[in-house]
Amino acid sequence: MSNRINIWYLSSFLISIFVAIPIITVFSSFFQTTGDYVSVLKNTFLLDYIYNSLILLIGVLTLTFIIGVGCAYLVSFYKFPGVNFFKWALILSFAVPAYIYAYSLTAFFENYGTAFSILKNLLGEGNYNAHIPKFDGMLGAIISISFSLFGYVYVLTRASFHYQSQNLLELGKNLGFSKQKSFFKIILPSARPAIVAGLSLVAMETLSDFGSVSFFGVSTLTTGIYNAWISFDDLTFANRLSSYLLIFILGLFILENLSRKKAQYHTSSKGGFKSKSVIQLSGYKSITASLFCIVVFFLSFLFPVFQMLYWTIIFPKHLLDLNLIQLFSNTILLVFLACCVLIFLAFISNYGSRVSKSKFLDTLNTFSISGYAIPGIILAVAFITFISWLDLNMINYLGTESIKSIFIGSILGLVIIYFIRFYSLANNGIKSGYLKINYSIDESAYLLGYSKFKTFRNIHLPYLKNSVLLIGILLTIEIIKELPITLIMRPFNFETFATKAYIYASQDLLEAAAAPSLLLILIASCFILITSRYILKD
Amino acid sequence: MKRITLILLTLCFLKSVTLANEVNVFSARHYDSDIQLYNKFTSQTGIKVNVISGNDKSLQKRIIEEGKNSKADLYITADAGTLGLFDLKGMFQNSMSPAIKSVVPANFRSKNWTGIAKRARIIYYSPERVSANDLNGMTYEALANPKWKGRIVIRQSNNIYNQSLVASLIDNNGKESTTIWVENLVKNMARDSKGNDRAQILAVAAGEADLAIANTYYYALMLSGSKGADQQEAAKKVLPFFPNQGDRGTHMNISGAGILKYAPNKDNAIKLLEFLLTKEAQQHIVNNTYEYPMIEGIEPHKIIKDMGLAFKQDTKTEVANYGKYQSIALEIMLKANWK
Repeated sequence: MSNRINIWYLSSFLISIFVAIPIITVFSSFFQTTGDYVSVLKNTFLLDYIYNSLILLIGVLTLTFIIGVGCAYLVSFYKFPGVNFFKWALILSFAVPAYIYAYSLTAFFENYGTAFSILKNLLGEGNYNAHIPKFDGMLGAIISISFSLFGYVYVLTRASFHYQSQNLLELGKNLGFSKQKSFFKIILPSARPAIVAGLSLVAMETLSDFGSVSFFGVSTLTTGIYNAWISFDDLTFANRLSSYLLIFILGLFILENLSRKKAQYHTSSKGGFKSKSVIQLSGYKSITASLFCIVVFFLSFLFPVFQMLYWTIIFPKHLLDLNLIQLFSNTILLVFLACCVLIFLAFISNYGSRVSKSKFLDTLNTFSISGYAIPGIILAVAFITFISWLDLNMINYLGTESIKSIFIGSILGLVIIYFIRFYSLANNGIKSGYLKINYSIDESAYLLGYSKFKTFRNIHLPYLKNSVLLIGILLTIEIIKELPITLIMRPFNFETFATKAYIYASQDLLEAAAAPSLLLILIASCFILITSRYILKD
Repeated sequence: MKRITLILLTLCFLKSVTLANEVNVFSARHYDSDIQLYNKFTSQTGIKVNVISGNDKSLQKRIIEEGKNSKADLYITADAGTLGLFDLKGMFQNSMSPAIKSVVPANFRSKNWTGIAKRARIIYYSPERVSANDLNGMTYEALANPKWKGRIVIRQSNNIYNQSLVASLIDNNGKESTTIWVENLVKNMARDSKGNDRAQILAVAAGEADLAIANTYYYALMLSGSKGADQQEAAKKVLPFFPNQGDRGTHMNISGAGILKYAPNKDNAIKLLEFLLTKEAQQHIVNNTYEYPMIEGIEPHKIIKDMGLAFKQDTKTEVANYGKYQSIALEIMLKANWK
């Protein structure tokens, strides 16, 4: 045991505990009294909220699974017109935040919206409003969230398919499996950790989404949290509702772990890594494959971009009014700092739990990353509450100066909360990379006299280079899109593209929100394009 | 890499070091035109205006937790109830000066905060389907009349303007009577509440409903053409109606501001407040936001003037009371299944 407690173990332990702080704060609400809101809620909407959250979750998971795995499967195993384009183009959906998707969906389909204008220009005057479908409410929320999040499933699944050993596929062939059977019996199960990692990120983001559900007026648990807090001033009960969300997510994790049982997902080092042969599709099959990808690409990326572009062109004033250099440098500064901190610490934590092979650390790790399901705004407030508690105690017992201004309303504070919020993203990505490195490699390294650090630097790092790049992009995109935390924690006169877009949209100036939204999407897309070359390098 | 990080961090800290001649504004009211106004203020007085904008409760939480260390001087928001509730928590200090008192009517200010601009929450109707006779003597109370069954659209109950409207009804008619009113209004709704104020007006234009309830500036925004030609046309199919002209007058709400308890630059904050209530600033506000001016002698935007200026505003109900009844209002609305 003493052998296991080392610097790696300790740092891994500390990082997990740190990330768990807001979760602990949230759970501590069970020991505090709550206001009247509980009875109001119980009598009216609690069941509704839970039901809506469930429907939303099931809808989004189903849709992201079908789109994400479907696209990943097609581009990984088949050749059809445009496949090389779709490989990276489909990742572009990441650049569109769910709230901006929601704005576009509404602007396009609302009464006298863009669809109406198009029809009027094409066909002349007419009463089109009644015939234009209205994608609002639950349906709108499911569509917005799914199209902005399916990228998680797509990217992680594709990476997993890409490295799927040809041996496995040949095994299928040798066993006489049909394509369909190979897919369900071999390909899908062996990509399971990646699919599950993707879906669990989607699940957590869905449950913590506030922007698009509130925009569409869908009452989920998150709306309940917001109401408890905003309208009834009952932060304790808001925290308690958040903990229901967490219990729910933890339950999902445990279920998945149980059902996975003891299956291991390392690639075997024996027999070598053969590159995959890709099947050329022809005829209607290739058209169907192309069509599927085009539709997904159009709906997930081109549609919101066109809507925002349309407004920016009609009302160019809003674009010219923006202080582009400042918005850009603020956004990039946050991205850079947060990425460095997140990736560095996620590495330490993962390596720590790997070398110490501690069940306890694994469990703690799983527990702390479930914080992703806490709505960002609750997280930020939990942090502010924690800092002012700490500050008070430090002033009282240590006689220090107030530390609040260092953490609240500063870049440092922002980066810390980003760290807590996105830790599971960084951690999950590196973890799934690590799962692919067989333990026997570590052991060989130790036999060769490598220290733990040298193993990490010389063996793990090169192996994980792609995972790190992937995580880097995911984090960059997430931080560019992040809204509620930035909104509450930022310093004076500090705007990013996301805060600017939100501020206009909240004033019902969607046409003014279009320019910052469009720029946000374009910048995020640039990051994706620059790095996609490396991710997709065969 | 580490060195760059260090330099960047240092820069950030330097950036946050405060300058002496400034005023720090926490604003839940996000107009670009407000920023232009602050710039005017800076060029006239040399006082720099720093702004953080965000949603009300987040900003409030931050101010509360920052406590004595808060740099916030002035809190600006677009709902009287929100100002009143924050005041009840003891977060403001005396924000009055003789100059402010002399220009702002008493029911639109309290000791610790003042209104800056006004907006009315009114009824919009389709002249094709609703006759002048139908609207004769129309009041907010009469929206509960069964003759409007399935004909009214209004946004969701979590919207603060709705909470203030229902709060004003509680203030005037009592909780019991308002509870019944809300239940009947919900029965009269043409659909489950969704969308913003503009979407309600558009629903009437599109024939989904006959009456909508929305703030005045949303309608003006569409008429101005800044929402595109089609929505401008749509808005023209709908007409505004100012209710309760026979009794207390039309429900008014305010954009307002108060000086925070621990404001480090109180004097500058007073100066900014006084500036916002000058003729120059008021004219700038009404021209850009389509609100009603807070002080006498200012002409609202032409679109607003064309909607009619001769209506009676409710100056009887103290807007300071909205805050008191907002959470009761929401409770009533939720219980009545107002989405």
